[in-house]
Amino acid sequence: MHLTKGPVAPIAISELVAKGGQNHDCGAHSLFIGQVRRDQTDGRYVRAIEYSAYEEMVIGEADKIYKSILSEFSDVKAIDIIHSKGLVKVGEVSLLVMVSAGHRDNASRACAKTVELIKEKLPIWKKEIFEDNSGQWKENE
Amino acid sequence: MEINVLFFGVLAEVTGTGRKHYRDIKSFDDLKHRIWDDFPDIAHYSFRIAVNNKIVNEDPLLRQDDVVAYLPPFAGG
Repeated sequence: MHLTKGPVAPIAISELVAKGGQNHDCGAHSLFIGQVRRDQTDGRYVRAIEYSAYEEMVIGEADKIYKSILSEFSDVKAIDIIHSKGLVKVGEVSLLVMVSAGHRDNASRACAKTVELIKEKLPIWKKEIFEDNSGQWKENE
Repeated sequence: MEINVLFFGVLAEVTGTGRKHYRDIKSFDDLKHRIWDDFPDIAHYSFRIAVNNKIVNEDPLLRQDDVVAYLPPFAGG
């Protein structure tokens, strides 16, 4: 689990894929890439999201997510999570998850489950910043 | 005892601080009342409490130098 300041750079994706290539037991990597969407509220458009996190607790909770995924999907060999903190503009990446497994079905199901757990369990908060610089705190459903 | 209290997300904004140090705390209930006296507006928000990075459901037994965190609903991703 890594919290990176600002957006996740696109090159992080190729770095993860290169790292995954060293694991010869894997036949599949499933990637989730979350980016900031230009949502609209009451005529105001989002220009960025400001993320904040309880970093110590994020690391501990991410470990629990890893253990939970590895116990549910024995075919999974590796899980990587990179999440932004600070300001991420519309169109930039705020979350990157890669799950590597022996087979594609397990890789994609475990990746989807990991993203669900990230949203549910990690103490991370976001505030939408609109084009007029007003803001609004958001929470996951 | 002395307790460090952390506020996150909207609560950091509402309290105007991310962190406050409390002295002479007798219990969690005592701490809770001191926090409510200092920041009455937090009563309008929903949150969970973590003690030393673990979410607690009931009033926890606090110890010297514990870290109590006020956590609004999560919004990662």
